[in-house]
Parts: sequence; structure tokens; C-alpha cells
Amino acid sequence: MGNWRGMECFLVLFPSNEPRKHIHKGSLERFLDLLLIALVVLMTLKGGTSGACAACKYQRRRCAADCPLAPYFPAEQPKLFQNVHRLFGVRSIVKILERLDEIQRPEAMKSIIFQSYVRDRSPVHGCLGVTQQLQYMIWLAEEELKAVNSQLQLYRSQNDGQNQQNHNQIMINDLGVGVDNKQQQDDVTSQLDLGMGLNVNNNQSNVVAPFFSPLPVSETQQPQMSYTYSCSEVNNNGYSPPAYNTDSGKEIMTNNNNVWGVHNRFMYNDNNGGGFNNQNESCHEMKSDSGVMGIQSQLVNLQMASNHQQQEEEDDAHEYDEIHQFLEIIDDRQSFADSKEAYASSSGETLKEQIDEIGENELRSAATCFSLTSVN
Amino acid sequence: IPKRETKKIKRFQEDIRDRNFLVNQGIIYTYMSNYTNSPCAACKFLRRKCTSDCVFAPYFPPEEPTKFANVHRIFGASNVSKILQEVAPHQREDAVNSLAYEAEARLKDPVYGCVGAISVLQRQVLRLQRELEETNADLMRYAGCLGGETTSAYGGRRG
Repeated sequence: MGNWRGMECFLVLFPSNEPRKHIHKGSLERFLDLLLIALVVLMTLKGGTSGACAACKYQRRRCAADCPLAPYFPAEQPKLFQNVHRLFGVRSIVKILERLDEIQRPEAMKSIIFQSYVRDRSPVHGCLGVTQQLQYMIWLAEEELKAVNSQLQLYRSQNDGQNQQNHNQIMINDLGVGVDNKQQQDDVTSQLDLGMGLNVNNNQSNVVAPFFSPLPVSETQQPQMSYTYSCSEVNNNGYSPPAYNTDSGKEIMTNNNNVWGVHNRFMYNDNNGGGFNNQNESCHEMKSDSGVMGIQSQLVNLQMASNHQQQEEEDDAHEYDEIHQFLEIIDDRQSFADSKEAYASSSGETLKEQIDEIGENELRSAATCFSLTSVN
Repeated sequence: IPKRETKKIKRFQEDIRDRNFLVNQGIIYTYMSNYTNSPCAACKFLRRKCTSDCVFAPYFPPEEPTKFANVHRIFGASNVSKILQEVAPHQREDAVNSLAYEAEARLKDPVYGCVGAISVLQRQVLRLQRELEETNADLMRYAGCLGGETTSAYGGRRG
């Protein structure tokens, strides 16, 4: 699976001193404290302190020492008490305070002051408006989260599918490399088998005669079918190629801009095992003719088309984006492959060198083959 | 027809007309003042005559006595009427509903009231926003990963 990095970088986005705690009362306390601080900052008036609290000042009476409202309504913030008085009234507040414990009173007063402040700011809806707004925001966030999660699920399933096929290809390649190593010292024909070995081990254990050796060519018919089909019949006894239609065969011929390396590279990225086999088969034909090399890219496109067909079943637009991405990568790599600098591994280069060697010899030997083979 | 009779008839007809007029007036009157003719919940609670110009009548129907009882217990009738008069007529119903909600919340939780619910909702919003950011980051990573896997697959798996 892909590399899963931690979320550390995203934690940076969030403040470390988050006021919310797991204890309900503690978090509410902090929440109300923050609200109150905000209110005080808004409504602090300069002026000297006097004995009377804001409540008693408003009511124009003497503030007693045991005034119950004095601790909560300092004289510097008369607006706070005005809001509370307008909404609740003095009697209601005193009744509420009398019903509560000493510990609960400050919290209650903070919530009352906040509620009155909100009512002052929004006389019609008050705290209900705030609640409804928050509920709407929650609904929006949940809907968005659902959508993103479904998208993520889709990507995960695609990634799993790709990884599975890539894993299969790794096994095939490993087998192919083993065969290649054995046959390195053989002549050109056997070197041709190097590439074929990949296909052989993929399909059957018996060695398949290479396409470009004279004997197999003479044995086989002169196919009138599409190019890909001819490859498969020559190279493999029991292999049945995927049902590429003639249109795709024609499509293969239309492209004349590709390098073997690109094609080879994308063999290992094929999602379709059948397409991989076909690619292998047609690769060797393409080695023989530089003009035919263009077929390689089209086979890649063919794979993409087959992949495309597969993905069309799922009917998701993002898969098309993925295909485009893939195609863009193909285009990018075509430009790189010319310089032979894009190969990431040495074994890739080794195989490419071998194939280059093969190519020259095959050019000669395959010249006759191509004269016999129908291209369309 | 003798003159006496015509006068009688005329008076009778006028009477009927007046009665009709009064009946019509009465229908309009009862329609305006809650046409059931029963006092609103506020006037019932306060045990007073529910007049046609009762401020509470349109918003505190007699079928919901607890609504006004809660509002009165927390805010007081005079405060409610002051608030209603400060608000435009078409917004008064919303104002009354919000007051009823706040009063009920305050009765259920005398310490925090509806502010407790606001705090819980705010925390939920923050949590969801955080989760959304994380999920979006995962999505971006996957989208980038699928595009980059073709490069790495070739490089990493050959040989």
C-alpha cells in the first residue's frame, strides 16, 4: 500500500493550547471564560471604580455589602447588566441564583450574561439562532465528510487493485529475469528468447520459438488478421490474446512516436495481465522495425483503453482523471526515454541494452517476416 | 297599508339591519380576538381578561399553557411584552419561539441553559472540521500516490 505518513504536519495547523477539555464542566468553564473575556474587552469603559455595582447603579440604589449581583456586574461594564436586565429582569436572576450552589453561581451568571449579550445582538432569534447556525454547519460538515470518505474509499479500492496487479507483475518479472540470465550467452536467436522468456514463463513452461526466427515464421501462417493476433499465434502455443478488435489494431499502426523503453517500462505497470502478455508478444515484433516501434506506444494506449474499459464499468469520472494522469505520465516518459535517462533501475537498462542488440539483428531477419505479415 | 304599519316595518327592517351589522361586527370581533373567545395561555396564567389587543394572544395559544409558563418563570411577562414590542410584528413569532426555547433550556439546566448546547455544538463543529481536513489530506495523498505510483513502480520493481 502507499506510504502512510502521520498527521503531524496537520496538527501544526491546530493550536496547541486548545481550550476544550474532556471534562464537560471544565470545557464549559473555559468556554464561558473566553466568552466573558471577549465581552469585557468589548465593553470595558475607562473610569474610576465606585462602590456600587452596575446593577445597583442601574437601579439607583445603594449597593449593600452582601449585594448578590455585585460580584458579577462590575461598575465598569454597565451594558452587561442592561442586557441581562432587559431579558431576564433582576427578580429572575436573583431567583435563579438563590436556587443554585455557591460553586455553580459564577458559571450560571456567565451563561446568563452571554445569553443576554446574544439576545442584544440578535433580538429576534437570540441563542436559538446561534444554535441553528451551528446545527447547519454540522450538517454541512457531515455531508462533506461523507462525500470525501466515499471518494477516499474509491481511491483505496483502486489502489488495492493496482497493487495486486503490480505484485503479480513483480512475480512475472522475477521469473523472466531468471530466464534472461540463463540465456545471456546464447546467440542472437536465444537472446531474442530473452524477451520471449518473459512471455513463456507467464503462459507456459515450454520455450516458445521466437517470432523472428525463420523456422517458426515458416511454420506459421501468413496472418491476415491484426498485428497483435499474428504475434500471439507465432509466439505462443496455448496463449489466447485478449480480444482486441481490428480497430485497435489499426490504432496501433497509426502511432509512430514511441520508444521501446517506454513500452517496456509500462509493461510492468499494466493493470491487465492479458494486456501485458500481448505487449510482450508484440514487443518483439516491434524490435525488428523502427517504424513498427510506433506500435508499442499504441499497445500501451491499448492497455490504457482496456484499463479504460474496465474502469468505465465503475462509471466514475475520477477514474478518467486517473487515466489522463497516467497518459500524461506516458507522454512525459516518451520524452525522457529518448535520452535513455529515465530508467530507474539497472536491470531495466540491462534488458534495454540486450533488446537494442537484438533489435539490429532482428531488423534483418524480420524484414522478410514483415513482408509476409499483414499489417491491417 | 296604514302609515303605522309602514313605520313598524321600517323600524323592523332597520332593526334587522342593525342586528346584522352587529352580528357582522361580532364575527369580525371574535375573529380578531381568537374567535374561539377563550383567553390565551398568558391571560389564563395571569388570570386576567384576554382583550382583543392582548399582546400575547397570537403567540401563546391556550392549547400550550406550558410555553407561557416557562417563559414567564424565566423572563417574566413584562420583559416578554417589552421584547415583543421592540420587534417587528412579522418577527414576533420567531422571537417568542426562541424565548420559549431558551426558557425551556434554562429550566432543564439552570446553570448553563442553552449556552451548554451551544458549547457542545461548537465543539462538534471543530471536531468535524478537523476530521474533514484530515480526510481531505488523505484524499490528496491518494490522488498524488496513484499518479506517482507509475513512476515508482517501474523504478522500484525492475530487477
